[in-house]
Amino acid sequence: MKIPDRFIERYGSLVDDKGAFLSCLGIMPPKSFRVNTLKSSAEEVARRFEGYGIGLKRVPWYGDAFICDNPEAGFSLEHFTGAIYMQELVSMLPPLLVRSELEKSRFVLDGCAAPGSKTTQIAAMMNNRGTLIANDVSYSRIRALKFNLEKAGVLNAVITNRDLNAFQNLRFETILLDAPCSSEGTIRKNYDVFDSWSESGIRQYSNVQKQLIVKAFDMLMPEGTLTYSTCTFAPEENEGVLQHLIDSRPEARLEKAAFEGLRTSETVASWNGVEFNEQIRNAARIWPHHNDTGGFFLAKVKK
Amino acid sequence: MRRKGTSEVVSPEGTKEKVFSYLEERFGLGRSLFDDYGLYMASKGRIYLGPRRVPDLPKIATIGLLVARVTGAVKPSTNLLQALGKQVTRNIVDATREQAIVYARGTDFKPDSSAVSGITDGYVLVRYEGASLGCGLLQKGMVKNMLPKAKRLELKFI
Repeated sequence: MKIPDRFIERYGSLVDDKGAFLSCLGIMPPKSFRVNTLKSSAEEVARRFEGYGIGLKRVPWYGDAFICDNPEAGFSLEHFTGAIYMQELVSMLPPLLVRSELEKSRFVLDGCAAPGSKTTQIAAMMNNRGTLIANDVSYSRIRALKFNLEKAGVLNAVITNRDLNAFQNLRFETILLDAPCSSEGTIRKNYDVFDSWSESGIRQYSNVQKQLIVKAFDMLMPEGTLTYSTCTFAPEENEGVLQHLIDSRPEARLEKAAFEGLRTSETVASWNGVEFNEQIRNAARIWPHHNDTGGFFLAKVKK
Repeated sequence: MRRKGTSEVVSPEGTKEKVFSYLEERFGLGRSLFDDYGLYMASKGRIYLGPRRVPDLPKIATIGLLVARVTGAVKPSTNLLQALGKQVTRNIVDATREQAIVYARGTDFKPDSSAVSGITDGYVLVRYEGASLGCGLLQKGMVKNMLPKAKRLELKFI
């Protein structure tokens, strides 16, 4: 794997241990899955997998998630019935960050839903009640979204296929915006990310994300909660997007994004000469070498 | 698919009654299970069970879960029987391990006669060790496989 020099220049100074960071990018992350609590329980799944002789390790920060030592867990009865969902660990974080809000919410939007890993998790946290709007702009990805929601037994979702910016003025209690991004944090699973990697690409994504986050914030009810997340390291797509939200909507308040048992890191204080607002420190970065996961960024915003 | 308005719509009304009656009679799925949900009708007799409250939105692709097709008779979906399998009380075929593997592969199987005693021909829930595998059609002692192709899987751990 050839890591672009410019990539190393950009992030080498942001991480605590450049060598550990770069070498981690060349290693596949462990296989993981989440128990679909609409159909089973962590205890039941653990019992069945023990019977298969497959070693499972419970994720310390999420009782419904497991790391699995067998790459063929997808050929299990539990995967067939939708009792488990193969999902990268960091991808489980946005719903988990607003779990208590989701358990109470009756009107929720997943703004960029396909292929549905987070959507099925949201539906489970809502216990299949209320209404969950699962939107994705990409028509080709709607099919996978539909398949995964059906397999998980999701009853409370309405799938829409729109540009989020074109949504009418609905108001939601909770919104998840897992924004389209340059996906640098998925390099461990997909080296192709470097083939198309460029700083101009990062800037393009940043522009799209800035529009989306303001639109999503405007669709929150008063006291509503928005999670913003990406699977990338680029400050332009993370702290820079939150800064744009605060500049555009000064009433936005960031709450602490933290998980007991998961190591998170400080956000970037400034980038390319721009000092970021103090509040942005409440967001969290997850570097791959700290928890043996993909890279991630997430923030919790209140209206 | 209903695209406007905010209350459930299944038309004609008789179709809704037909689906509820069938699910109750055949599988013991009582109407109270569906109290918080609405039934929605799409083309080709497809019936979806989804949230009761659906906002007025353009470009709706799907509401809820495809639960049945009604073209004369009611044909329940594997999605429905997998999702509500734990509430099903009758017309259940308990498969052996080998039969469950065959079923997941998408092939018909011949259940043991004890597994189908008292079950009349028609749609059944295929189950293995308490896990709801999906829909089958019991006909003359054979379970015809009703699993959609996309859901088929060669099970290695069961």
